[in-house]
Parts: sequence; C-alpha cells; structure tokens
Amino acid sequence: MEKRKNGLKNQTSAVPFLLPSFKGLIIFSLLPIVISFFLSLTDWNGIDSLNLNVFLKDHFIGFQNYVKILTGGEFFRVLGNTLYFIVLYIPLMLIFSLLIAWLMNKNYKGVSLFRILTYIPVLSSWIAASLIWKWVLAPKFGIANNMLSIFGISGPAWLQSEQWAMPSIVLVSVWKDTGFFGLILLSGLQGIDKTYYEAAAIDGANSWQQFWKITLPLLSPSIFFVLIISLINSFQLFPQVMIMTDGGPNGATQVMVERIYKYGFKYYEMGYASAFSWLLFVIIFALTNLQMKMQKNWVHYGA
Amino acid sequence: MLPFLWMISTSFKSRGALMTLPIEWIPKNPTFDAYIKVFTRFPFARAIGNSFFIAVSYTVLTILSSSMAAFAFAKIKFPFADGLFKVYLASMMIPVQVTLIPLFVIMNKLGLINTYTSVISPSLFRVFAIFLLVQTIKSIPDDYLDAAKIDGAGLFTTYRQVVMPLCIPTIATLCITTFMDSWNDYLWPLVMLTDRNYMTLPIALSTLNGQYATEYNVLMAGSLISMIPIIVVYIFAQKSFKGSLVSGGIKG
Amino acid sequence: MKKFVLIFLSVLLVLSLGAWQQADKNVTITYTNFSSSGGNEETLQQMYDLFHEKNPDISVNIETIGYNDYFTQMQTRVAGGTAPDCFELNIENFAAYAAKGVLKEITGVDLSGINPTALSAFNMDGKQYGLPGSFSNVVLIYNKDLFDKAGISYPTIDWTWEDAQKAAEAIKALGDNTFGIFAPITYNEFYKVSAQFGGSLFNEDKTAFTVNSPENIKAVKNMVERVTVTHVQPNAEEQGGMGDWDWFMSGKLGMIPTGIWAFPTFAENCDFDWDIEVEPGQVKKATHFFSNAIVINAKTTDEKAAAAAKWLAFLASDPDAAALRIQAGWELPAITDQNVLNAYLTAGKPANRKAVFESLNYLVLPPVIEQNALMADIVNKHLESAASGKVSVEDALNAMQAELEEKIKLK
Repeated sequence: MEKRKNGLKNQTSAVPFLLPSFKGLIIFSLLPIVISFFLSLTDWNGIDSLNLNVFLKDHFIGFQNYVKILTGGEFFRVLGNTLYFIVLYIPLMLIFSLLIAWLMNKNYKGVSLFRILTYIPVLSSWIAASLIWKWVLAPKFGIANNMLSIFGISGPAWLQSEQWAMPSIVLVSVWKDTGFFGLILLSGLQGIDKTYYEAAAIDGANSWQQFWKITLPLLSPSIFFVLIISLINSFQLFPQVMIMTDGGPNGATQVMVERIYKYGFKYYEMGYASAFSWLLFVIIFALTNLQMKMQKNWVHYGA
Repeated sequence: MLPFLWMISTSFKSRGALMTLPIEWIPKNPTFDAYIKVFTRFPFARAIGNSFFIAVSYTVLTILSSSMAAFAFAKIKFPFADGLFKVYLASMMIPVQVTLIPLFVIMNKLGLINTYTSVISPSLFRVFAIFLLVQTIKSIPDDYLDAAKIDGAGLFTTYRQVVMPLCIPTIATLCITTFMDSWNDYLWPLVMLTDRNYMTLPIALSTLNGQYATEYNVLMAGSLISMIPIIVVYIFAQKSFKGSLVSGGIKG
Repeated sequence: MKKFVLIFLSVLLVLSLGAWQQADKNVTITYTNFSSSGGNEETLQQMYDLFHEKNPDISVNIETIGYNDYFTQMQTRVAGGTAPDCFELNIENFAAYAAKGVLKEITGVDLSGINPTALSAFNMDGKQYGLPGSFSNVVLIYNKDLFDKAGISYPTIDWTWEDAQKAAEAIKALGDNTFGIFAPITYNEFYKVSAQFGGSLFNEDKTAFTVNSPENIKAVKNMVERVTVTHVQPNAEEQGGMGDWDWFMSGKLGMIPTGIWAFPTFAENCDFDWDIEVEPGQVKKATHFFSNAIVINAKTTDEKAAAAAKWLAFLASDPDAAALRIQAGWELPAITDQNVLNAYLTAGKPANRKAVFESLNYLVLPPVIEQNALMADIVNKHLESAASGKVSVEDALNAMQAELEEKIKLK
C-alpha cells in the first residue's frame, strides 16, 4: 500500500450502484416534488383534475401564496410552536434513546425481553397510544395527576391547557419514538469493536471514561444520523397532533404539517398548502445543511 | 407498556364497554367476539397474505437498493457525490401531504393503479435506509477495502463480501424498521389499491372506523394480530445482532 | 398467404366478438362508500343483491373504505382523474365538490319518494348533484332514573331551554359528580341553537355573516353559561379523557342531545332506564339533520352515469332497500313512505321512537358554503375561548365575526 486513499476511486463504477435508487428518486420523489413547486404558484384547490391547464391558464397566480403566507401571522406562530416542540423533544429523545441503547447492549438475563418491551410503544398504533395517553393525562381522573397528588402536587390540565398541551405532545412522542431511535443507536453500539474496550480496560480506564473516550466518539455517526432524521421528522410532526389535540386548545399545538394538511385536504387550498410546504422545506434544508457542516467538528468515522 | 396492556384488555371486551370509569383492566365478561369479527368481517387471510407479500418484497428491495447506493456514497469517489447526497436527503423534507396527488397522477400515467408494483416500487428509494447505511459503511476502515482490492476483488465483490457482512447489525435494524413501515403503511396503499383483492391489513382494519362510532374492541384485536409478524421479525433480527462482528470481518 | 388469411379472419372474429359484447348492455360501475364501514358492509351487500336482481344488466363493484381517511383518498382520486363512477360524501364536503364542478347532475330517475327537505340539501342552483342516501337526526336523550331521583317530571315536546336548565340544576344538586346536561360547544351545535333563538349565521341571502347578532349572543350564552356560570355541564378539564357518551353511559349525566346513532350503543351499555324526546327549543324549535350525499363523478361516461343514477336512486328510495336499512338499524332512509318507516317505531329501545319522526318537522339544514371546513374551524376556535370563560361571549362572537369576514368569501 504505497498510497493512502480516501476510498475507492472510480468515477463510472458508482453508476450501477446508484442506478436503482436514482430511478426511484426521479419517479417517486423529484418529479412529484417539482410538480408541487409549480402547484405552489397556483390557487389550485386540490379537487379539479390535475393537468397542465392547472399551471398554465386556470390557476396560475405567481408568488402570491408566498407573499400571503409571509405577510400573515399564522406561519410564524405555527413555526414557533413547531420549534418549541423540537427544542423540548430532541434532547429528551436523544438522552433516553442513548440510555435504552446502552441498557440493551449489556449482557444480562432478560435483555431480549427488555429489547422487545422497549419496542412495543413503537409498534402500538397512534390510535391506541393516544387513546390511552388521553386517559392517563385526563385532568381529574387520569393516572398522571393522581400520582402527582400523592406528592402534594396538583397537576396541570395537560392536553386541555394551553401551556401544557405541547409539553404533553412532547412527552407522548418521546415515549413512542425512544424505542425506535434506541434501536438505531444499538446497531451503532454493536458495530463498535470490543477490542477497544479491552485495550482501554488494560490502560485502567473506568467505565465513565470508556463512555466518553470510546463509546461516544465511535457512536457519533449514529448519533449524527439520529439528529438529522429526528430534526426532519419533528418538523413534520403530524399524527399525534391530529389525534390528540387537533391543533388545540386555542391553536397551542398547531404545527406546520397540521396546517399543510388542513389547507390541502380540508380547506381545499392545495396551492397555498404547497407554498407552505416549500417554505418549510427551506427551513429544514438550511438547518440540515448547517448540521452537515458542523459534523466535521464532532463526528468521527472509523478509528 | 400501559397502552399495550390496554389494547389486550380492550380486545377481549364486548362492544361499547370500552371507556369506563374507573378503567377496567380485566374485563368483567371477557369474550372472543372481537377476534371472531376480525376473521369474519373481511377476507382476513387474503389481507394478511397481501400485506406479507408486499412487506417482504419491499424490505428486500430496500436493503438491496439502499446498501448499493450507500456503498457508492460512502466509499466511491465520484463527482457531485456530496451534492447528490444532499438532493437525496432534501427529498425527505417536503411533506407527503402535498406530493400525494402529483405522485398519484404519475402512477396513473404509468398504469400502476391497482398493482402490487405501485406499493412495492417506492422501496427503491428509501433515504432513511441509505443514510443509515452510509453512516455505517463510512465507519469501515479503508484498509479493509484496499486489502480486498489487492486480492484482486472487483467493486461488486468488495461490496458483497467485505462491506455487507460488516453491516449486518445495521441491516438487521433496517429489516425491522422497513418491514414495520411497509406492514403498517396506510395512506399510499389506500389510494393505490382500491380493488378489494389487493386489500392490505391496515386498510382492512380501517374499515372498522364508522362515521359516528368505532368498534374499538375489534380494532384493537385486529391491531394486536397485525403486530405479531413484526414482533417475529424483530426477534429473528435480534438473533443476528449476537456476535455479528465475529461472523463479519474479512473473509478470504 | 393462407396463413395470413387465417390470422386475418381470426382477428376479425375476435374483434366482432368484442363488438358483440359491447352491444350487450351490461354495465359495471364502481361505487365507493364509507357509511357501511364499521358494521354494515353486509347490509349494503344485501341491498346490492336486491338491486342486481331487479337490474341484471347493471353490476356494481362496491368499495368500502373507513371513514378516517376516506376524504383524503377520494380527493386524491378525483384530482388524479380516476375517481369511481359514483361515491358517497358527507354533507360538509358535498358543497365543496359540487361547487368545484366535479359532480354530475343526477337526472332521469324518479325522486318523488324521497323526503323533499333531505333532497333540497343536495340541490345547488336548481341542480340535483346528490341524493340523500340515508339520514340521522338529533334528539334529547335523558336518564329516567336520575329524573326520578331528583323528583322532577320527564321532558316533553313543549320544553324550552329554561325547562331544561331547571331540570339540569335539580339533577346537578344530586351531587356525587353528577351533571345535568351535556351539549358540545361546537359549530354544529351553534348553528342549531342559533336557529332555536331566532338567529342565523348569515343574513337572508347569505351575503354576510351575522354571528354577533343579539339572537346569537343569547344562543351562545345559553350554551356556554351551563359550563361557566351554572356549572350543570362539566368543563373541558372535568370532562378530559371521557367522551360525552361515556358520561351518559356511566349514569352520571341527566340529559344529552345527541344523534339517533347512539341508540344501539346506549341500549347495550346503559344499566339504567332512559328515553328520548324532541330537543327543547326557545323562540322556535330546531333540530339537527345529518345526511350523506351519494353523487356521480362528472367524468364518468353517460352510459355509466345512467346506471349509477339508477343505483343511487335505488339506495335512496327503494322500499325494499329502506326496509333492509331499518332492519339493520343503519340510520334512517330518507323516504316519505310512512308504512316502511313504521317498522322503526317498534325496533326496540328507546320507547318513544316517534320523537325521531316528530323532530323531522323542525329540521334545520347545516349552512353549507364552499369554505365550510374553514368556517367551522374558525367558529369552533372562538366558541372554545368563550367556553373557557377567559373571554366574554360578546367579545368571542365579535372576534369570530371579524375573522370570518376576513377569511371567508361569501357569494
């Protein structure tokens, strides 16, 4: 090995590897996305037959939708709600997922059962989960407030309260998603070569040092992945809000995709909904790009 | 755990006796009514068969297509790789709510409505899987690949015999999550597969939702039955976690 | 050469066979519905069997889809240009579809057997774009045992909201977390109570909103003060986690104005005596009416549209189909033939089933406009803030008026 290489260099050889997914990208993703951009320049209602006339003559209105969205207050208020969710959700979800992944990676009796148990919230349907959580969080009779009252705390009205509705949604989302991201992180942990720990143990590193010096750096690609995906997903937070609060009380849990869905499929303003989506896209893309740039500072690939 | 227990308990209740105060954890008059209804109300076996065929094909295709793409992104130098990867990622950032109708129109033009292809083929492009595998493959030291190259292995051989075995824990995870996503997928099959013969399990279950009332006991019974295959896949995939590194590594 | 002739002949034969098949008048249409989901698929199938017997040349391919995502799915198919030949819409979505020109006028069938009020709900600008496949209305359901315990007399058809309020207070006074009445504080209730107090959401010709009129202020006060002042109805916090039906079935609620679709559930789950009466009124009586429209896709061919019209008219008004519907307890057929309807009176609990038909004399149709869903959401938002007690009824209605004027275009 005379030359140090950063991988295999062969320009055309990448093509066959990329071809299947690239075809999928064009047909199932790029084409519809491009169409949705053109739709954002129309006042199409989402019921009329979708064809070229929609863009060219019947409904074309230029950038009016964007102007309307950016000059109205709703977009920024809803963006604020969404960011509030993200700020609470991502750190909590990450800490709990790491904890669960770490617990699942140990060797002890019952670890298999534990792995299945942590995955059950992921498997439960949102309908079942939200029915039960609504009941757990019921202000007067729910378990949550009954438990709090044992400690002399009078619990909030949770989903019925403007201040607590969003934290409640965060709570339920963390509960539901932790098993999923925990599993992703677990597969990252499994990929770490055990010899690193053996070497560190010989050097006399305690388990806390091992965690900081070995586990965290070697797990950073997985953590980076979880951060990017969960950021994209949380901007598109949707089913839990629809089922648990439908945006209420008093708009406290209205979020981006909830609005997009309602404009597109309830109020029949698909053009407006498309413009809303493209503004959302710009925000997510900018934040993701920022994360990609920053990864050089903390994500380590390979040893 | 609570919701799961509640699902079990509800599935054994008679219609209506669902939300009582205080909540009834152990039904007073347990009954199998809900389960019987699940099996008699619609062609349940047919729906399971459809779902199974779709989910398995979907998962296999996802793993193949994604691992190939991820290998290219992680280890092959080609022009605009970073840019293309960003396009891949960016495609996740537009909510499906506004691409649903355009995609439907495209599928219609391709004549794919009421075909299995319409719900299986999107597996070719799963950014989630590609991205996760890129993260894993990037962590594989280049020395391994160089060693294979010196042994005279072509790119495909390297991909198949060096990279894939080292990705087993990740692929196992992807099997679970992809299978689950496809198995539970609802809106897309609902739009594409309107023929009763193609009905998948979630669509069959959704017909339990009435305009004014929902039979929660039947719904929960159906949901529980539909969770079993995922748990089986989960347990199966778990097995491959154990000692996967031992079986991985470089062969030959 | 011989071979060529042979092939040519066989091709001709196949083609003529195809033509012969077309000449044969068999038509197959697709009908997509949600209302048979949740337990009535079989009844619908029986109706179809009857229909096919009477019209052997028409086959209907029935698609039944759950209610939850039915409209997302239908909108996608309509916009994608491949909607079914005929399908079902709820009353809220009907106006939007009709206004956007995606429905075909229903012609060439006899509609005389259908309830005219119900029929008029789906008539736009003189054109019949939909038929009332079935309907439901709302009555006052009350817990007889609680009325007895409180020592008060049962509701009568002459009750006003004041009578109801007195009874509710007497029942609330029984204590032990018992409440007098539960009526949701929502858009659906609002337009009905508004009518009972002599108000309306619009002016006469539907060109302007009048939600903050004096009548409407009285109407909303009547709805809201039960919660905020007299507290005979649980507030959102007290109610949290339990539906209104659950309250009633738990035996701790005196009265509940709700749909007749609650009968089977209540009959099965209430271990106390209950009955129904026509809902109380105020200045006048007004009762809810909900109906689903069955409609024809504008893009379907004339031949299929004719077949679809026959099928829809059969569903809406054929006496045998109606009898099947009553037998299954699957809402009510919107027909005028009282002989068929009589079977409903003796179909079990509750005893006073004639109140269901008496209520029909006071029907108020939902005020359907093109931007129906948006209007309903705006109204709900402001009613919610009034019900929370943080905003006065007057302020809430003024804010509602302002937002409606800003966001909704009326003709």
